[in-house]
Amino acid sequence: MKKVIEVNGLYKFYRVGDSVVRALNGVDFTIHEGEFCAIVGTSGSGKSTLLNMLAGLEKPTRGEIIISGCHIEKMKENELVKFRRERVGFIFQSFHLLGTMNALENVALPLSFRGVPKSIRLKKADQMLNLVNLSKHKKHFPNQMSGGQQQRVGVARALVVDPDIIFADEPTGNLDSHTSEEVMHLMQKVVREQKKTLVMVTHDEHLASYADRIFHIMDGKIVRIEDNREIHKEEQQEKKKESEEKDHEKE
Amino acid sequence: MNLIDLLRMSSANLKRRKLRTFLTVLGVIIGTASIVVMISLGLGMQEAMYAQVEEYGGLTSIDVTGMNSYGGGYYFEDSEQSDPAKYLTDDTLEELKGISHIEAAVPRLTAEALLLKGKYQGWVTLIGLTPEGFAREKIELAEGSSLPDPKAGELQMVFGNGIITNMYDKNGGGGYWETGEYPDIDFMNDTVFYILDTDAYYQTQGNSGMMGENGEQVKPPKKHIVSASGMVDGTPDDYNMHYYDVYCDLETLKTMLKKEFRGKVIPGQPSTSSGKPYNYLVYSSVKVYVDELDNVDGVQEAIRALGYNTSSNIEYMESMKSQFAIIQAVLGGIGAVSLFVAAIGIANTMMMSIYERTKEIGVIKVLGCDLKNIKQMFLMEAAFIGLLGGVIGNVLSYLISFVINRIVSAEAILGVDGSISYIPPWLALASMGFAVLVGMAAGYFPALRAMRLSPLAAIRNE
Ligand SMILES: Nc1ncnc2c1ncn2[C@@H]1O[C@H](COP(=O)(O)OP(=O)(O)OP(=O)(O)O)[C@@H](O)[C@H]1O
Ligand SMILES: [Mg+2]
Repeated sequence: MKKVIEVNGLYKFYRVGDSVVRALNGVDFTIHEGEFCAIVGTSGSGKSTLLNMLAGLEKPTRGEIIISGCHIEKMKENELVKFRRERVGFIFQSFHLLGTMNALENVALPLSFRGVPKSIRLKKADQMLNLVNLSKHKKHFPNQMSGGQQQRVGVARALVVDPDIIFADEPTGNLDSHTSEEVMHLMQKVVREQKKTLVMVTHDEHLASYADRIFHIMDGKIVRIEDNREIHKEEQQEKKKESEEKDHEKE
Repeated sequence: MNLIDLLRMSSANLKRRKLRTFLTVLGVIIGTASIVVMISLGLGMQEAMYAQVEEYGGLTSIDVTGMNSYGGGYYFEDSEQSDPAKYLTDDTLEELKGISHIEAAVPRLTAEALLLKGKYQGWVTLIGLTPEGFAREKIELAEGSSLPDPKAGELQMVFGNGIITNMYDKNGGGGYWETGEYPDIDFMNDTVFYILDTDAYYQTQGNSGMMGENGEQVKPPKKHIVSASGMVDGTPDDYNMHYYDVYCDLETLKTMLKKEFRGKVIPGQPSTSSGKPYNYLVYSSVKVYVDELDNVDGVQEAIRALGYNTSSNIEYMESMKSQFAIIQAVLGGIGAVSLFVAAIGIANTMMMSIYERTKEIGVIKVLGCDLKNIKQMFLMEAAFIGLLGGVIGNVLSYLISFVINRIVSAEAILGVDGSISYIPPWLALASMGFAVLVGMAAGYFPALRAMRLSPLAAIRNE
């Protein structure tokens, strides 16, 4: 399988007054195409720092980040912006929808940065909103939607540009547990169906179990990588069987 | 990001805060209007001056006067000891023909005369012009008038429409300026007399002995009957450049003067040191017509090199122009101050808008909006404020200008027709362009700031 993200010897130090905070203290891993990965750890363990660095929002102190063959740690700011525009979708913890735009326009926004004409843009956004089950809320503004609905708009916005990789920093952090499950299901479904690579940060072990692989991070180091792929496969097969049996019963 | 999307986002941002946008635009409106109105006042004055100059013989004519002659600054007492005086004679006309770019050089001879009609009398200046001079002078005549005929054998005259105001009651009854009424004289049909040898007239009027200074008897001067060939068009209320003049044929005037003052010095003409008259008459001025405006300076130089004095409207124009430039700079400067204040307003609005939208800017940066686009978006917003202010400011300026012209007539202030405030199209366009430029300049640093916002800090900022 193709390597999408490769991280080698990544360090990030912050200088706070006289002391140095080692937010990332030597991180190495590889993520392959179509994988759903979760980064889990306690508060302050360096999860967000790692994700921001993968998305090119922050510069590492030392180390390499290779995404689809490009060394993003060497890029200038406008190159990074271009890289994000063309390859990356982003889902935020606090949704960050633009308050002046309705759901449809919010989803279409990243396409406008690519210069896609308005009619095409809105059509694509429309499809995306259907995909995330928001066909009834297209004309709603963010302040007219619930948190879960807003986050689904956020997911649609990340998907609309057809990115190679989607980054999500605590996408369910502002949602209740039931809604969180819903959003996680949605993300899992989308990633499987569309073969996207998704990197998600969370501090909730349970939500992390939706991922194929889980990186456990502590004090800026990856301490354990959990592989759930086999379990997920079995689950899926069981589900298939169940539904087939149901179909049989109906007949 | 394409232009339409940029425009859409910028205008949406402006619409979001309508009152703030309106107040900022209001600043630009006031700034633009004050610049435009101020400059329009200067331009109005300038326009009026051009019109005036045009009326007074245009810009391509030069008045030539002699050196040390009666036309010059000082009198000709020592003329034969010091520099030879440069008189305007027929030789001068020949000399002037040698200079290129001169279309025509027409002499004019002036003489004082006294008009008499019943109890009224009045001083006038007779101006002798050649037929070519008349053609060039373009005097507008009243109906039934004609120019003096050089072959008439008598001195035919064209009266200025204001001559009537010069006539006054010699017994102390006053004239128009005292009584406010025009004396009842019709120069065309009444029998009016004129006297050229006015010295002799007064000597014979005043003392009964009829004795001159030297003790010899002074003959009373000859009274000639005026033969009026025409009047300048207009009533005595309409001032024009021929208002106070009486025109006649130059050659006939020469003959008349020579006959009248035989053996004596004609008043206003030079004499030799021994007090004898010359055997030729000196013109009081020569008007030189130049083919093109650009050549006026050169021709003027050439004539000066010959030793004559020259003056033309162009010099007056030049000095007026530099004065107007100063006036306009001052007026425009006053206006510019308010536009400068408006620019600060724009900068402030943009800064506020960026603070307000820090999170939003961060998000669109994370979503991949080009840095250039972010800068353009804010610059456009600022430019749009400038444009809106510029356009409305110009509409306001036209209104103000209209009202000023209604209330204050240029005639009252400058003494010429025309409007006191004049906004040419270029001023409107330039001021709008300037307002946009000011807007963009004011928005430039805020836009740079927006562009440089760290996306991370922006989205963290909850
Ligand atoms: N800009 C910064 N300056 C200084 N220290 C920082 C900065 N950003 C992060 N840190 C430090 O780096 C460490 C890791 O921070 P990070 O935000 O990655 O934690 P996290 O794992 O995302 O925690 P949480 O689950 O609470 O979001 C923390 O100790 C934090 O204090
Ligand atoms: Mg975090």
